[in-house]
Amino acid sequence: MHVLVLLIQILVLFAVVMLHVAYATYFERKIIGHMQVRMGPMRVGWHGLLQPIADGIKSFFKEDVVPEQADRPIFLAAPVICLVAMLTSLAVLPFAPGWVLADINIGLIFILAMSSLSSYGVILAGWASNSKYTFLGGLRSMAQVISYEIAMGLSLVGVMMLSGTLNLSEIVQAQGTSFTGMYVFPQIIAFFVFCVAMLAETNRVPFDLPEAETELVSGYATEYSGMRYAMFFMAEYIGMMVMSAIGTICFLGGWNGPFTVPGVPFFWFVLKIYVFLFVFIWIRATLPRYRYDQLMELGWKLLIPLALANIALTGIVKAVIG
Amino acid sequence: MFVKYKPKRNLLETILHTEILQGMALTLRRLFSRPITRQYPDEEIPVALGFRGQHALVRDPETGGSLCVACMRCATVCPSRCIHIRYHEDDGKRVVDSYDIEALRCVYCGYCEEVCPVNALVLTEIFEYAAYSRQPFHFDRDGLLANWDRFCRERNISPQEYVNPFWRPRGLPENRLPAGKRLQVPEDWTMEGQVVGSRYREALPNDGTR
Repeated sequence: MHVLVLLIQILVLFAVVMLHVAYATYFERKIIGHMQVRMGPMRVGWHGLLQPIADGIKSFFKEDVVPEQADRPIFLAAPVICLVAMLTSLAVLPFAPGWVLADINIGLIFILAMSSLSSYGVILAGWASNSKYTFLGGLRSMAQVISYEIAMGLSLVGVMMLSGTLNLSEIVQAQGTSFTGMYVFPQIIAFFVFCVAMLAETNRVPFDLPEAETELVSGYATEYSGMRYAMFFMAEYIGMMVMSAIGTICFLGGWNGPFTVPGVPFFWFVLKIYVFLFVFIWIRATLPRYRYDQLMELGWKLLIPLALANIALTGIVKAVIG
Repeated sequence: MFVKYKPKRNLLETILHTEILQGMALTLRRLFSRPITRQYPDEEIPVALGFRGQHALVRDPETGGSLCVACMRCATVCPSRCIHIRYHEDDGKRVVDSYDIEALRCVYCGYCEEVCPVNALVLTEIFEYAAYSRQPFHFDRDGLLANWDRFCRERNISPQEYVNPFWRPRGLPENRLPAGKRLQVPEDWTMEGQVVGSRYREALPNDGTR
């Protein structure tokens, strides 16, 4: 019985997240369009509202082309690895008090591990496609993930030190319900490092070097088509949401808000995620891509020292005060 | 003039990424501005004065045929040679046998309507005439007259009053035509009036602000 309930919960979460993914693409196109004084999708449905559905159906029925020279099993598995890793990390996210599929004590580490695992999908896709563009994309992704995973992990160490736990629900509870309790204030440096590393982890502009359309055709996804191509993008958008959720949980007080909305315990959590997603899109509409050496420089020379300094600072303040 | 690619920033501006924030503010402002998109098939696009579109022969209201006198000037001036006219002489008067225009070879320069002494030919404002084969773009005389009828119908034009800006003014002998028959271009369209390239820098106020 318990398993059945869990299964239904998983299905509901999956459906809701997939719907969010579909409409995240819609809002991305709409917002970027309006920021560029265009309109975005307007044709399918009222103001293009059915566009993501049409896109989904289209990519589902498209031919799944596998290049002749590709490493077939790995080529077929790579997008699945990406998507599965991202979907798995949804399991540990607390959407509201008690609303979590797996309330495990290593939640934060688990999410970091899963986001690293999903980059395996990208690297394998780049390798298995047997094409220079995908290979370059995969290499870049590998280098980028290694650099920014460190910065991101270190930026979250401050949060772990303050809350004394890795369990995501307990991190939220440790921040209390008050506005000033949010870790964004004592951990402002960590929050900055996290935001930058978050963009890099999800391969978003201005760190979208692995799929840089203007240089690498479509990077690691060049040889993919149809549903498998769509899976990469689902993984990317779910990754954005997971990273937004981590930011919300660790720095912005999770499901706590100025007041409780009756009947919708996850209201503030979801709202904060939407704000994060908007910022993701907003940044994409504004910034150009970093050069490869600038990316490395930013990661190793700025973010990692900043995160380390933040850890030292947090430790000292914690030792002095309490 | 020296172009400063990297303006000087102080340390605080570097740390706080003020330039990125400026850019973000710009995109956010644009988010709430009105899109300039014209939803083409739904929205009518205003046709500019002097637009040159589908070819047509003006229908003579008296005879119902074309006004063409087979002077062959349009066929001669046409740079892409897409106008083909055949005629025979009857009592010293030319009678047009056939008048064909291959629209696919036309470059829409408008010379033909400029040289026409009787204002028989016109490049109308109609631009929506796509087809799936080449044949529909070979206009014969009846097709060109039908184009004129379509033009008058779709753009609500009375055939008696319509005047094309490229046409020869009526009632003037040819040797007394005004010099510029094409519309005078605005001052900043002329080669001298344009401010591009090196002229741009010269036109800047010389206080080194840009």
